[in-house]
Amino acid sequence: MSEQIESLLKQDYAAGFVTAVESETLPPGLDENVVRLISAKKGEPAWLTEWRLEAYRGWRQMAEPTWAHVHFPPVDFDAVSYYSAPKSMADGPKSLDEVDPELLRTYEKLGIPLHERAKLAGVAVDAVFDSVSVVTTFKEKLHEAGVVFCPISEAVHTHPELVRKYLGSVVPRRDNFYAALNSAVFSDGSFVYIPPGVRCPMELSTYFRINEAKTGQFERTLIIADEGSHVSYLEGCTAPMRDENQLHAAVVELVALKGARIKYSTVQNWYPGDRDGKGGIYNFVTKRGLCHDHASISWTQVETGSAITWKYPSVVLRGDHSVGEFYSVALTNNLQQADTGTKMIHLGRNTRSTIISKGISAGRSSNAYRGLVRISPRAEGARNYTQCDSLLIGDRCGAHTFPYIESRNASATVEHEATTSKVSEDQLFLCRQRGLDAEKAVSMIVNGFCREVFKELPMEFAVEAGKLLEVSLEGSVG
Amino acid sequence: MGAFDRNLAATLYAPRPAPEWIRALRETACAAWGAAPWPTRKTEAWKYTALDALDATAWLRCAEAGEPGFDAAALVPGLDADRLVFVNGCYRAELSCLGAQPGVRVVNFRAANSGDRATIDGALGQLATGTDNPFVALNGCWLDDGVLLHVGAGVRARRPVHVVHVGAAPDGPSAHAQRLLAVLGRGAELDLVEQFVDLPGAGESLVAGLSELRVGEGARLGHCRLHGEQERAIHIGAVYVELARDARCESLLFALGGALKRIDFRLRHRGQGASCRLDGIYLARHRQHVDLHTTVEHEVAHATTEQVCRGIVDDAARAVFNGRIHIHPQAQKSSAELSNRNLLLSDEAEVDTKPELEIYADDVRCSHGATVSRIDEKSLYYLLTRGIGRREAEVLLGYGFVNELVSRVGDEALAATLREVVRDWLGQPGLPAGGDAA
Repeated sequence: MSEQIESLLKQDYAAGFVTAVESETLPPGLDENVVRLISAKKGEPAWLTEWRLEAYRGWRQMAEPTWAHVHFPPVDFDAVSYYSAPKSMADGPKSLDEVDPELLRTYEKLGIPLHERAKLAGVAVDAVFDSVSVVTTFKEKLHEAGVVFCPISEAVHTHPELVRKYLGSVVPRRDNFYAALNSAVFSDGSFVYIPPGVRCPMELSTYFRINEAKTGQFERTLIIADEGSHVSYLEGCTAPMRDENQLHAAVVELVALKGARIKYSTVQNWYPGDRDGKGGIYNFVTKRGLCHDHASISWTQVETGSAITWKYPSVVLRGDHSVGEFYSVALTNNLQQADTGTKMIHLGRNTRSTIISKGISAGRSSNAYRGLVRISPRAEGARNYTQCDSLLIGDRCGAHTFPYIESRNASATVEHEATTSKVSEDQLFLCRQRGLDAEKAVSMIVNGFCREVFKELPMEFAVEAGKLLEVSLEGSVG
Repeated sequence: MGAFDRNLAATLYAPRPAPEWIRALRETACAAWGAAPWPTRKTEAWKYTALDALDATAWLRCAEAGEPGFDAAALVPGLDADRLVFVNGCYRAELSCLGAQPGVRVVNFRAANSGDRATIDGALGQLATGTDNPFVALNGCWLDDGVLLHVGAGVRARRPVHVVHVGAAPDGPSAHAQRLLAVLGRGAELDLVEQFVDLPGAGESLVAGLSELRVGEGARLGHCRLHGEQERAIHIGAVYVELARDARCESLLFALGGALKRIDFRLRHRGQGASCRLDGIYLARHRQHVDLHTTVEHEVAHATTEQVCRGIVDDAARAVFNGRIHIHPQAQKSSAELSNRNLLLSDEAEVDTKPELEIYADDVRCSHGATVSRIDEKSLYYLLTRGIGRREAEVLLGYGFVNELVSRVGDEALAATLREVVRDWLGQPGLPAGGDAA
């Protein structure tokens, strides 16, 4: 049994290959000139350059947060290169056929649907390769519906009024250390605008991928759902295997105007580092949504990767009757560390939020849920329900729960419950008695443990998420 | 109005005459107090509790023994106990009543004999090292007297020990320390009641409390800490408990709100089979602030923790609860449950709660839950349909809410007193006495 575990735990990171594409990379280090250069390379308007500089100045005055339950050597922000673009981009591919075949093969290995699968799955992919969007499909069809789905660097030029109005409106430039850094140097990301009353005709999807060694990736995603509109957005992440740690500090802003609905799903399997904790992504992400009246925002995430995760997708329930949801599965193995959770800020009347968090720790990893539910005095009739369950596999890992509850309205109801246990011997016994081996049994039990979250995922992602967990967990039972 | 003067605080009690060993402890503590980082809003353990209230104590001065003129036995009617009474931090032999119990040593620090000193030297400050809490050091700076309880191996104390801290002296505000050390030998048994009350007309006060309770193998400690001071009182206190193999502690912390009331309760399971039940009740109204921080360390396997804390918060008061359970890597087969429920009676009131689990062992059963809400509308409706007035129904339900915990107190006299306090607080003296009213 234990040999089997060993071999399975040694399983290679399937997405860990490096694509040899010539890229244009800035030398490491960050100062105002680098910020200006990034902005100039993208041909940004003056206001945005100034916006970035303001963020940079703020960042210089800020200190790295240390409150999270993670431990890692300090990041040398001067050793990071803040811009990297595949060289072949300079000519600008007009269609898929013109795209560097190396890149396309990368996506193929990752199993991203670009050609047929994209159509079959009805998925429009805005693939971000390192920092520049390579190709955007299904643009036409979306255009008909009036939906704008393009790289944010393009939206700056095509929809400046929207970008200017909403950029930084949910996550202010100086919100926190990593958000400030991102605001200063963000490279690219997706921009989505759904016009009033439109139900987006397909699921939107972006695959992020960090390729170049020693490059940090700083995407910036902005999604605006206008009144009464509806959109479902899928985000997947992978990174190649490298010995050094790589930095990923993204910002995602969601704006759900009156009656709008945004569903944001993430499957994250950034390279987690090897069995000894060498290498892997540092994932320091700020994700936040703002709900106006009757709007709803739902975050669903399956996190299996990254050496360090520091991520709290949040919802500010500003409008009356707005709804926030957070469904999360976070799995850590080997020496991975995750400190993740959500914030639900109830400002409006009759706002509702639901938090379902499932943490699975294996190996020598550490997995913490950190959440905040804040009921403001104005949030008459607000309602929150939180459930955090942790599953421990192996006796050298850690599972932690740090829920913060702040209630300032008597008519609000806040409920939190959390449990921690290991995979039940009884359940294992039952499965094995029926002829399943321990591996299968654990996989089944874990899948059952996560079911409440998986059922919130779009179908294609749910399958992938299930598979991911299986790969990451197989053999950790003993 | 000036700011709290930390240097003045450190040396406040330096001139007060005391036995040499107490003076030595003061000096050590003063050094620690000076070196301790001062909590700010950024300090996690003080996130929701500002120390601004201390600024109002710019008057800092030593406490003087006030005029007694009260009957300590009447505080908990019917409690047949060995009683030690401190008035403004000073031991008052004439108000105390100590009966001889074989194997049980109950004595104040200043009256300690050489045998007591040996016990004190071996245990005092061992649990409360104060590295994480500057107010432990402050308690040492102000150390003037204290209580030693020693129960010999195999001895079951026949009577509970009742330690009463009275605030009297209408001649101005005062600051002092409360200190207690309890050492229970193997298989010993003891019930301890620590009670804080203020006499009518008592002035402002700042009390740094500290109790260390060491429970030996197979020993059992019943513990109740009852905070009923007047509203302007500030109490920043800590209780440290250590449980040896198969030891058991059943504790109830009962606190009415004050200008600032902060209690840190820390329990360590040091021996396998140790178990504890930690209950907490806090009632806050007006502009009171009450903050209960508990930490339970499961350092060994097969230990059990059962924790239930409930609070009622009214008007513009604020209650803070932080309940941390830490399961160490070797603490397999641990079982820990924590529940924190809060009733908010007013839109201006605030509750900040954070139950925490930190777990490093896999074969454990741990859970926690927290709720904040107002009185359940359905229960209220049920009572209304039976012809009970709304106000009365609310009182009934609030009473029932905390009475569940009061009912777990073994001593009937004590439970009755607690019920009385709850009834008074809820402003409804007419409830039926005893039993589960709701």
